[in-house]
Amino acid sequence: MITHISEQLKKEMLKAGADEVVVITTQQKATQLKFVNNKIAKTGTEEFINYDLFITKNKKILTTSFMPSEKETIKEFCQKNVKLINYLPPNKNYKGLAEGPFKYRKIEQSYDPKIEKLGEKAVDIIEEGINAALTEGAKRVAGNLELYSFENFITTSHNVEFSEKGTKWYSSVRALVDQYATGHMTSCGRMLPIKIEETASFAGEIAKKAKNPQPGVEGKFDLIFEPLPLANLFNLAAYAASIFEFESGLSFLTRLNERFGSEKVTLADDATLPNGFNSTAADLEGVPTRRNIILDKGIFKTYLHNTSTARRYKTQTTGNAGLISPGPWNVWVAPGDHKKEELFKEIKRGVYITNIWYTRFQNYITGEFSTIPRDGIFLIKNGKIEYPIKEIRIKSTMPEFLKNISALSNKQHQIKSWEADTPTFTPAVLVKNITITKPK
Amino acid sequence: MHEDLAEFSLAYLKKAGVEYAEARLEEHQTNRFILKNSRLEAGGSNHYYGLGLRYILHKTMGFISANDFGKDDKEKIKQLMEQSLKLTAKSSKIKEAINFSPAQAVKEDYQTLQKIKIQDFPTEEKIKLIAEIDKSVLAAKVKVPNRYFSLSDDLLYKFYLNSEGTKITAKIPRVVLMYYLTLVENNQPVQRYWEYGSSCGYESFGRWQLDKKLPEEIKALAKNVKLGIKPPQQADVVVAPEVTGIMVHESAGHPYEADRIFGREAAQAGESFINQKMLGKKIGQECITVADDPTLPGSYGYFLYDDEGVKARRKLLVKNGLINEFLHNRETAARLSLASNGSARANNYDKEAMVRMSNTFLMPGNYTEEELFEDIKLGVYIKNFMEWNIDDKRLNQKYVGNEAYLIKNGRLTDQPVKKPAIEITTPKLWSSADAVANNSEYHAGNCGKGEPMQAIPVWFGGPSFRIRNLRLS
Repeated sequence: MITHISEQLKKEMLKAGADEVVVITTQQKATQLKFVNNKIAKTGTEEFINYDLFITKNKKILTTSFMPSEKETIKEFCQKNVKLINYLPPNKNYKGLAEGPFKYRKIEQSYDPKIEKLGEKAVDIIEEGINAALTEGAKRVAGNLELYSFENFITTSHNVEFSEKGTKWYSSVRALVDQYATGHMTSCGRMLPIKIEETASFAGEIAKKAKNPQPGVEGKFDLIFEPLPLANLFNLAAYAASIFEFESGLSFLTRLNERFGSEKVTLADDATLPNGFNSTAADLEGVPTRRNIILDKGIFKTYLHNTSTARRYKTQTTGNAGLISPGPWNVWVAPGDHKKEELFKEIKRGVYITNIWYTRFQNYITGEFSTIPRDGIFLIKNGKIEYPIKEIRIKSTMPEFLKNISALSNKQHQIKSWEADTPTFTPAVLVKNITITKPK
Repeated sequence: MHEDLAEFSLAYLKKAGVEYAEARLEEHQTNRFILKNSRLEAGGSNHYYGLGLRYILHKTMGFISANDFGKDDKEKIKQLMEQSLKLTAKSSKIKEAINFSPAQAVKEDYQTLQKIKIQDFPTEEKIKLIAEIDKSVLAAKVKVPNRYFSLSDDLLYKFYLNSEGTKITAKIPRVVLMYYLTLVENNQPVQRYWEYGSSCGYESFGRWQLDKKLPEEIKALAKNVKLGIKPPQQADVVVAPEVTGIMVHESAGHPYEADRIFGREAAQAGESFINQKMLGKKIGQECITVADDPTLPGSYGYFLYDDEGVKARRKLLVKNGLINEFLHNRETAARLSLASNGSARANNYDKEAMVRMSNTFLMPGNYTEEELFEDIKLGVYIKNFMEWNIDDKRLNQKYVGNEAYLIKNGRLTDQPVKKPAIEITTPKLWSSADAVANNSEYHAGNCGKGEPMQAIPVWFGGPSFRIRNLRLS
C-alpha cells in the first residue's frame, strides 16, 4: 500500500510538471514506557505514516508532505504543489539528484522481529532496569524505554527504488540517591537483548559514588570524559562537517586537510554499522551509504555531501542526503588502546565527567563553547578519584578540546541522548588542560 | 478533519473502563522558507494532522497517537487502543499512581484573528520579506559573509474533548523568523542569532522592524570587535530585555514547573532546586515579580485553554521576591490539593501534554532604563547575548554578552565591552537585583523539555533590570 501511494505521488508530480521528485515514505510503530520514582508513569503507543516529498522545477525547490485525505486526491495535491513551486525563485546552486539504479548492501543486525513481539514484556524489562539501579544504591530511578519497528521506502524520478525494514530500541536510566547524587546512562541498538540492566547499574554506581559532593573547583584540569558526555561533543563535531552547516557559518571545520583534532582522534560518519541505531543502506536520495572519515588522526578530510552539493564542490556525494542539508547517520569514534582505568592513572589533577548538557556556542566558527557537567562529577588526584564535586562548567573551543585529547579507551559504547540525537559510537577519553569555571 | 474519530475513540476508551480519557486532534498547515547567503535554498509547504489520546486506567497513564486514517480508520485506532490498554494494564502493577485535580467542564470555540492572513499572504511576498532583511544587512557596510534566515508560518487547528464533558476548538496562527549572522571584523568572526515570533498573521513582521534592527546589531558588533575592552572584574550590571527574558525563562520559569519539582522529568529535563516547602520563601528582592501568562494577545506562547481543557490564566511565579506559585497541570495540582492553573501543553498531537511555560516575563518596575544607570559608578550594560546555559536543578547559570557597553559615573557610554560573562547561582542573581525598568519587551524561543523531546513556542521577556556588584569574566 505505501509503495503504491508513493509511486502514484511520484507519477502525478511528474505529470503535473515537476522536473525531479523524491518520495520518502516512513511507516513506524512505537512503544514507550516512561518511569519515574521507580514506577511507570506513562505508556505510549504510536503508529504513523509519513509521505515526505522533495520536488524541483527549473531549479526551484519545494519540500512538502502528503496526507491521505478524502478532501484532496493525489492528483490535486500534486497539481497544487507544482503550482506553488512556480512562485519560488530558482536556486542556481542546485545541481540535481543522483541517477540510479543503485545496488544496496544489507545492513547487518538491523531488524529483529522479536522486538516487534515484545508487547507487555517491555514492562518486565523496565522492572529489571529499576531493580538494577536500586541494587547499586539508588533511591529513585527515572527513565525511558522506547521500542520501534519501521519500514522505509524511497522512490525518485531518477531510477531509485529502495526499501528497508528495521527495528530499534533506546533506553535511558537516571539513578538518584538524592538530588545532588545522581548518575545517568543511555543505550540503544537494533537487536535484542536490551541492555537496560547494564545501563541502570552504571547509572546507579555513579549516583552512589556522587554522594555528598564538595563545592566545585576552577582552573585548568585534565578531564576524563565518559562516552555519554562525549557523544554530545562528537555529535556537534560531526554536524560541523555538513557542508550546509559550513555554508551557514555554523561550523568550526573551516578548511579541508587542516588539523582540528589530535593524532589520537579519528572521527567518522558511518551508516553501515551493524546494530547502528540510524544505520541505513541508502541516504534520502537513494545513494548507497558508506563510512566517511571526517577527522583522520585529527586532520579534517571531508565535508558531508548530497549529490547536488558534491557536484557544486566538484567531488563525490558521501551518501549523506538530507536533500536540503546533508547530515551524519551514526557518529563513530575510533577506540584507543587504553583500558578505561588506565586513563585515570595518567592524571595528577583532573576531573571525571560522566554527563554534560546545555552545550552552547558563543561562536560556531571559532567553536567557542561552554557546557555544564551534570550527574556524578569527581575530582581526580594522582590517578585516583578523590571525592565528588558539584556546580562546575567546562569552557573550551571545539578545536582545543579535540586537539587536547591524548588517550582513548579501547571500548566503544553506542550512545543516543537528548543532546546527542545522532547515535554515537565512542570510547571514553582523556583530554588535557581544559578550563573549568564555577559560579562567582 | 476527523472529529468523528476523536469522538469514537473517547467513547471506546470510556467503554473499556478507563477512569478518564481525552482526545486531541491537531491539524497543521505550515510554510517554511530558508534564505542562505541571499539564495532561497528551498520552500516548504506541509499539511499534517493526527490524533492523540490520553487516558487513566487503574491510576496509570496511557497515551496513544496515530495519523494513518483511511477508510478503516476506526478499526485501526481500535486495534491501537486495545494494544495500549493491555500495556497500560500490565504497567499498572508498578504504576506511579495518577490523580487529577477536579476541573470544570467547558465548551469553547476560540480563534486568533489575523490582519494579514497567513493563508492569503502570497508566497512571493513572504520570500520578499526575508530577501529585504538580507539586503538591509548587506547595505550596512559590514562584512557579513554568512547570512541564514528561516521564516515559518503555521495554521494550527486543535479539537479537544474529554470524558468529563469538555469540548474545545482552537485556531492559532503563528509566524516565526530565525536568523544567524556571521560578520568578520579585523579577521575575527562574530555571530548573532535570534528569533522573532508571534501568534497572529503577517502583520507581526512589520512590527519587528528587522530591516532596521539587524543592520544596527551588526554595526554594533563590528564596533565591539574593533574597540571593545575587557569587562571589569567587579561591576554593577544592567541587562536589557532580551537578556532579562532568558534569565527569567531559565532561572525563574523552569524551576517553578511542578512536574520537575515532583521528579517526573528527572531523567532528562531534570528537577528543581525549589520544592513545595519553599512556597512563600524569599528568592529575590522585592522588586522581582515574575509572571507566566499564555493569554497575552498575539504572544508566541498564546492559548486560552491548555491541553487538558483547563482555562489559562496569568500566574505569578515570584511575587515581590517571594516564591508564589508553581506551574501546574491537573496531575501535579492534585498532589498539592490545588486546581490546575492551565499549564499543560503538548507540541503536537503525537506528544503527551506536560507542564510548560507559555509567556514568562519579569513584571515592569517604575524606572526608565536611563534611571537604572544613574547611581552606577562602574558597570556594564548587556544588550544581547549568544552563549548561555544552566544546570539541571536550575541553580548554576551563565550568560555571555554579545553587544555590551561600559557604564561609567551614572551614564551609559559608547565604549563597547567584549563578551562580559555572568556566572552566578539563581538565588544570588535575583537577590542582587535592585531596580527594574518599565521598558518591557517580549522575545520568542522554542523551549525544550520531555522525552521524546518537545520544543514548544514561548515568549520570554520583561524590562531592563539592574544587578549589583557582580564578578564578571
